[in-house]
Amino acid sequence: MLHFCKWLEQNSFILWLDSNVVLSLVLEILHYSGFFLLVGTTAIVDLRVMGLAGRKEQPSALAQQLRPWMWTGFAMALFSGFFMFSADAVDFYLADWFRYKVIVVLISIVAGALMFRKVRHSGENLSFPVAVKVGALVSLVLWIGAILVSVEVPAISGVG
Amino acid sequence: MLSFFMAFAKWLQGTWWALDISGSTWAYPFVQATHFSGLSLWIGTNLALDLRLLGIGKKRQNAAQLSEALFWWNWLGLLVAITGGFMLFASAATKYIPNPAFELKLGIFIPLGIILHIINQQKAKSWGATSETPAIAKFSGLVELLIWFTVITCAVSIPNFDTH
Repeated sequence: MLHFCKWLEQNSFILWLDSNVVLSLVLEILHYSGFFLLVGTTAIVDLRVMGLAGRKEQPSALAQQLRPWMWTGFAMALFSGFFMFSADAVDFYLADWFRYKVIVVLISIVAGALMFRKVRHSGENLSFPVAVKVGALVSLVLWIGAILVSVEVPAISGVG
Repeated sequence: MLSFFMAFAKWLQGTWWALDISGSTWAYPFVQATHFSGLSLWIGTNLALDLRLLGIGKKRQNAAQLSEALFWWNWLGLLVAITGGFMLFASAATKYIPNPAFELKLGIFIPLGIILHIINQQKAKSWGATSETPAIAKFSGLVELLIWFTVITCAVSIPNFDTH
């Protein structure tokens, strides 16, 4: 993996991308916007499941409406994140907090996707059993944790 | 005017809680996480509404229904983002005040974005009554979308103008 990171960092396209101020900025904007879209839409669905948001809205309709934006946000964050990672691949790879970030984000995405799936297939239901509400709370807490770990990466490891 | 803002920034930066945030390894990332969590709700729900006004996405719910469903969480997101943002600002206020990217973000684009968002949210009731939105709704949604991208651009550019 370290060899791959070293190769990635030395790749001529990545070097060109990293030296281009405008493109680096565009990648950063894409990353933040995608992350906001991903977390925002997931949080709304989680909050609806817990009965805290849009109580008049049918949860399945809300999840259907927001699901494409959740995946759009994910695609934007992943695409831009890969190139942002590539520019300092070795440093990121060696930073513990970056590894924690990847793990927490992956778990959060799985939890969020499962929640969307569950809610989309809930038909006319307006409320959910306690177990599903707890699942939504876990998904929400995981995303807040993902944000916290993400901001810890540059704050503690100095990378990014 | 600048001297007034700088005097305020110096006072703010010297308050005990601002010193606690800037002096702690853990507090700053927690405050940053609060700011980003609020932004996720605010920007995420704004983008969902703007894209719906643009007519992009599934049309099971129209823009009026989506706007109503997201209303309170949208504004709660802004409140949390402002709270976190103010605390971040307080921890290094004298560095932020003369920063041109920060000035553009806070002085022009955020007020513009909020004003246009209020208009879009109000108008979504009539513009979004049917699944196909009128041209003015698409234009307004696109402009708001561009303003929020500009706000993010200014935000990520702040460190590039940091002279300290």
